[in-house]
Amino acid sequence: MEFGTSGSLNEDGIHVDMDRLKKGEVNLGTSIMAITFKDGVILGADSRTTTGAYIANRVTDKLTRVHDTIWCCRSGSAADTQAVADIVQYQLGLFAMTNGKPPTTQTAASIFQEICYANKDRLSAGLIIAGWDERHGGQVYSIPLGGSLHKQSYAIGGSGSTYIYGFCDANWREGMEEGDAVNFVKEALKEAIKWDGSSGGVIRMVVLTAKGADRHLYLPDTDYAVRHN
Amino acid sequence: MPGFDFSNYNRNAALCARGMSLPKATSTGTTIVGCIFDGGVVIAADTRATSGPIVADKNCEKLHYISPNIWCAGAGTAADTEFTTALISSQLELHSLSTGRKPRVVTCMTLLKQHLFRYQGHIGAYLVVAGVDPTGTHLFTVHAHGSTDKLPYVTMGSGSLAAMSVFETLWKPSMTRDEAVELCSQAIQSGIFNDLGSGSNVDVAIITADKTTLKRNYVKPNERVPKLRSYVFRRGTTAVLNEKIIRKEDLGNYVSVHELSTAAAEEGGDDKMEVDT
Amino acid sequence: MTSIGTGYDLANSIFSPDGRNFQVEYAVKAVENGGTSIGIRCKDGVVLAVEKVVASKLLKHGANKRIATVDRHLGVVYSGMVPDGRHFVDRARDEARAWRDTFKTPIPTADLASRLGGYMQAYTLYQSVRPFGITAIVGGFDSELDTPVDGEVGSGPKCGAGGKGEGKKHGGPFLYMIEPSGLYWGYYGAATGKGRQAAKAELEKLDLSGSGALSLEEAVKEAARIIYVAHDDNKDKEFELEMSWISGADGPTKGKHQEVPKALREEAERLAKKAIEKDLEGDDDEEEKKEGDKMEE
Repeated sequence: MEFGTSGSLNEDGIHVDMDRLKKGEVNLGTSIMAITFKDGVILGADSRTTTGAYIANRVTDKLTRVHDTIWCCRSGSAADTQAVADIVQYQLGLFAMTNGKPPTTQTAASIFQEICYANKDRLSAGLIIAGWDERHGGQVYSIPLGGSLHKQSYAIGGSGSTYIYGFCDANWREGMEEGDAVNFVKEALKEAIKWDGSSGGVIRMVVLTAKGADRHLYLPDTDYAVRHN
Repeated sequence: MPGFDFSNYNRNAALCARGMSLPKATSTGTTIVGCIFDGGVVIAADTRATSGPIVADKNCEKLHYISPNIWCAGAGTAADTEFTTALISSQLELHSLSTGRKPRVVTCMTLLKQHLFRYQGHIGAYLVVAGVDPTGTHLFTVHAHGSTDKLPYVTMGSGSLAAMSVFETLWKPSMTRDEAVELCSQAIQSGIFNDLGSGSNVDVAIITADKTTLKRNYVKPNERVPKLRSYVFRRGTTAVLNEKIIRKEDLGNYVSVHELSTAAAEEGGDDKMEVDT
Repeated sequence: MTSIGTGYDLANSIFSPDGRNFQVEYAVKAVENGGTSIGIRCKDGVVLAVEKVVASKLLKHGANKRIATVDRHLGVVYSGMVPDGRHFVDRARDEARAWRDTFKTPIPTADLASRLGGYMQAYTLYQSVRPFGITAIVGGFDSELDTPVDGEVGSGPKCGAGGKGEGKKHGGPFLYMIEPSGLYWGYYGAATGKGRQAAKAELEKLDLSGSGALSLEEAVKEAARIIYVAHDDNKDKEFELEMSWISGADGPTKGKHQEVPKALREEAERLAKKAIEKDLEGDDDEEEKKEGDKMEE
């Protein structure tokens, strides 16, 4: 059997290729997460983008807007996830115009899923979609590699997430206040960045509530203690 | 068990035996950089083109025109950067003509990334896109697979590590035009001197809202100087063992020339072009 | 005929000098000859009902349904040319399916009405087609609950999502009527077909928008009565009553569009007949009828 770079399932139908990224492709070796809290959702991510051992961008923005209060966290191939996010952003913009109302997080998640599932053997994209809408409030959906869709109260992803399953499980609380929720995301990402070599740089967050999107930035210089902008 | 685990070595050997080639480092053989300053953006490149271990061109141009206010520095496969930038330049000009607006850098970047993404990395173009448009000053990198980054200073190509080290030590926010040009030039020279894939001269383009200035061979740190000694062999260095003179009129003894009739020449080709009379 | 086209009625896409499309007006005539259809939107659901004129005694009783289900939560009934209606329903199903394919969620009634309105209108524009000879009534119940996306794995987290607008109600029952011109409005009560005038008069008497609004079961009984009232014995002797309803997830149909159960329908019909007899008391030409009686020839 040939080990291709297609990312398709092997003969046994279980194992996914170890080498899903194409040669020289830009990788988001990443720590990403999104959580629900009392007033909506918070997305968080590190900022490291790598090509092999080289950090191609140390201040990457992996939190991507697809509509005013629907955002996604990207992990996997930078090219693939940017392309998918661009398509969804276009679709949701069109939805809002033709239907005269903003799309729901569900709508966004299902469009993401359709693309990820239909092109599963061409894409390496691990996405977390989080959004706030008037109908459902804050919601978090996770779309891992195969293109399945999971609704979760919080989701973690990327290579750094392996190190924080325990942390998140131990510290997660339902319906946190905004300050506690921001702290939860920050502490979790600090751990992920500490232990995962492919994660690093700054911590970015987006808080999505009825009031809209609010961006947070935390720098490693102060051990992520001070909020900039 | 403490100690090293060599099981992957066996796996790799098995994979190799089954015909999977090991990953090979690909050199983009270039240093290109870009840097934003107050009022505009500078991009710069070295001028070495390589074909394997051979320097194919000592003074090539890696700064490509997209539109008067948008320029592109290209690394990777020379033909791909050349044709991709030309294609997008054309599309952008037509777009600009039909909308009646000045082309925007984001439009250029989007066209490039969508084109490159469609070809899944088979078009080996790694680009630095820079420009000034009605929305402001912009600087992007576009990778061959279609991913993009937006940063205040960028480097690409095999010399990008050398160049980035210069930026990371000397860059500061809100620089003047001259400071930015000098910084980019230093970054490229770092690539020229420390990266095998880069060499020769520094090309610089400065883009502001008013005009673009292309400084071809802004620095020539590898000027070829006259040789200190002459290496021409003296006459008579090689001994003459024998000598024979053939006169022109006797050439027929050694070479024969047959002239073909035009009719015979036309016999083969029946698809002769007809001319209207 | 009230209007004569003088050449301007020969094709779609030709206006008369006073700005009318005669083809559309003729389509309305076709609707006015069809059996009466009504829809009632009450506080906890929607009822659709149609007077199905029995064209032949050889037709099987209760077969040949006229109310169609378009999606789990959507029903359509129409008056006019039945084949046109069938095609229209096909289109409605296509639209509902297409919406589900792209958005993985049921189409809201308003969006379906909008798309069907657009489809109907397109048939007033071109030389090669004629307008639909139907007026359709679309009833639906948009879920009030947080429904999962189609294809979502598992049931999701137990916890409610944060930041929901407090006290805001979403979804609910909706009713739309679409005319051959493509014009559509949302209604509390809608009626079309030959008995529409009488039906509308009866619908207006109901309290559909106020606070003491009708319950779904009452609406079923009213619907049956209105169809009986609107029925003209002198024109068509025999008819069948077909009724469907849609409630919310906590109601009798659990958010689905379904035919009204036989027992309830028969009860409604019994009450309808009784009400009519009461109305007609004193009238000499009244005909005594018992339940299940066949009309005499």
